[in-house]
Amino acid sequence: MQKSKKIVILGHFGVGKTSLIQRFVKDSFSDKYKVTIGVHITKKIVEVNENDSISLIIWDLEGTDEVQMIRQAYLLGTHGVVFVFDVSRPSTFQNLNSDLKIVAEKTPDTPLIIVGNKIDLVIQDELQSLLKDNNIEANYLTSAKTGDAVNEMFTHLATLLNDLT
Amino acid sequence: MTLLSQYKEQYINQSIQFVVIDLDGKVLESDQTFITLKQDGFIYDVHPFFISYSSILDSTEDSMTYNCVHLGEGDMELITDIRFIKKENHLLLVIYDLTEHYVSYQRIAQARNESIINSELVVLKNIELEERERFKNAFIQNFSHELRNPLTSIISITNLLEKTNLDNAQHQMVDFLKESNTNLRLLLDDILSISMIASGRLQLRNKVFNLLKLLELIAFTYTSKTKGTSISFLMDHDQKIPEFIEGDRLRLFQVLTNLLDNAIKFTEKGTIALKVILNQKRANKVSLRFEVNDTGIGIPSEKINTVFESFTQLEEEGKKGGAGLGLSIVKGLVELMGSEIKAESKSGKGSSFYFDVTLTYAMNLASKPIENTKNKTVDISKLKGDRKYKVLLVEDDERTQMVLFKTLMDTNLFFIDLVNDGAMVFETVINNNYDIILMDVDLPNVSGDQITKLIREFPFKNIKNIPIIGVTANVFEDNVDNYLKLGMNAVVPKPFDFNELLKAIVKLLK
Ligand SMILES: Nc1nc2c(ncn2[C@@H]2O[C@H](COP(=O)(O)OP(=O)(O)O)[C@@H](O)[C@H]2O)c(=O)[nH]1
Ligand SMILES: [Mg+2]
Repeated sequence: MQKSKKIVILGHFGVGKTSLIQRFVKDSFSDKYKVTIGVHITKKIVEVNENDSISLIIWDLEGTDEVQMIRQAYLLGTHGVVFVFDVSRPSTFQNLNSDLKIVAEKTPDTPLIIVGNKIDLVIQDELQSLLKDNNIEANYLTSAKTGDAVNEMFTHLATLLNDLT
Repeated sequence: MTLLSQYKEQYINQSIQFVVIDLDGKVLESDQTFITLKQDGFIYDVHPFFISYSSILDSTEDSMTYNCVHLGEGDMELITDIRFIKKENHLLLVIYDLTEHYVSYQRIAQARNESIINSELVVLKNIELEERERFKNAFIQNFSHELRNPLTSIISITNLLEKTNLDNAQHQMVDFLKESNTNLRLLLDDILSISMIASGRLQLRNKVFNLLKLLELIAFTYTSKTKGTSISFLMDHDQKIPEFIEGDRLRLFQVLTNLLDNAIKFTEKGTIALKVILNQKRANKVSLRFEVNDTGIGIPSEKINTVFESFTQLEEEGKKGGAGLGLSIVKGLVELMGSEIKAESKSGKGSSFYFDVTLTYAMNLASKPIENTKNKTVDISKLKGDRKYKVLLVEDDERTQMVLFKTLMDTNLFFIDLVNDGAMVFETVINNNYDIILMDVDLPNVSGDQITKLIREFPFKNIKNIPIIGVTANVFEDNVDNYLKLGMNAVVPKPFDFNELLKAIVKLLK
């Protein structure tokens, strides 16, 4: 059996979690918003270096208003977490740091990547000051629409998880 | 089988699948209700979700339920709740098909989330629009403010230039210069009016005034203006309109003249007419319709709604000149009067602009002559006493300094000292006995209004009570009120009318 790692994608609804996965797995994007309920699970084999690959099991979770509400069962056995916010909607990052704290409590000792998505919708300079003003340190700034930094983000996480074992 | 157990079988059996797997994830048994599983195949090969079985084995729980798991592929929806139950040496999986239930739940979640996101976006959009509007108004106000200082100098220097020895050609040039100055000043006033209306800073000042006299003035002005052109001006008002009404005379004047100027601008030949119609009179209220008609080029129907927006110009080539501010000022002012400006037009035939206002009118007011203080030369004879007055001029702009200095000196009434830094004022004031201070408000370091406040707090009577006239381009009503509150005795706007300034000085020195 192929080495496999489970990652969960968390964040408020509508921030582009499903779109990021679709960009990564199928290299496609849709403007239509279909609300995710429950969980969709996809698998993708990711090359982590020249002769090694792992199968990344990506859990696309229903977005919630409150991180606290995430069903615990979904998080069981998670190797990595991606927390996504929408740089164009303040409500999705206004409480980012307290959200992250709750996530860290729910998934202790698990690598966490913070992603600001939809950067195609804001001006670069404004984005930087917005992050600074809200005291946000994002690991990746992505656009599922243009594909910016999407592969890098997932591949980085896969490599990281591979190196941990 | 009873009917009931038949139904039960139908419902339950068709929506629940039982599967047994071993500790490696290999399928031992399956009832195949809706997922077909190969005997001895690995369950996680059917769907990546099932890799979860190993997490359950690792956990301390005896059983675990996953809700709302999508197992369908492609367009086929299969949404399930899945329960793993640990048994000895194997795992039992119970899979509930709840597709129907979850699909309808999804529809609700869809509607809910969409409406939340949309309302969020609307709020963001509004904030952005408001911010832009605020920025625009602040920008315009600052900008026109900045323009006033150099304009003051230009106007004053032009006036000085006019009094020097000029030949005919030079005289003519000065006349052109003066006309351009006036136009520029009017335009600047328009821009200020617009931004004040937009930012809500403009307030009407209602007072009783003579409406008939105002109409006479307008008739006179526009008859003269159209004389010698191919346009004739007509004025027509109901005989029963009240002579005295309560309202903002200046703003009504501004509205009517803007409408008339606009009519002239777009009429090559024919007539422009101002009509005042009495709609209704009741108790002490009167409703009047003001109407301006022309026989000009008219407005195409698709543009009729945009003519009141700032900076639109009907003739795109712009050959008529002007920034197109007149009508948007009209719109704003008429709204402040509690009414709405309407336009009707036929392209090529002419346009008609009208609005209805309800005003209070005074019934028993005898007609008295309207006091006209403008343009009257100031009587300075009262000042021609035994001594000259000492004036301190606090001003940092060199051109304004020069102009004020020269014009005041020309009267032969004053000694003038000059200070251009607010911080220097106190020292100068203490060491001299000034009769009056002319104070620019916008000074570097300490602003003029703050200096005024500090002077008023001086412990020495002779300093504390020196009359202070503020000179400023910052003539918004609330600013002026504030300056007066801080202790200025009068405020003269820039670009200033020298007579007005002199009048203020005379009044305070008496
Ligand atoms: N402009 C833009 N829109 C995006 C991007 N990512 C997602 N969207 C849109 O945002 C909406 C919500 O995306 P979705 O992936 O369903 O968000 P989720 O609820 O977090 O899974 C959809 O209409 C997407 O088309 C992006 O990077 N840029
Ligand atoms: Mg989603």
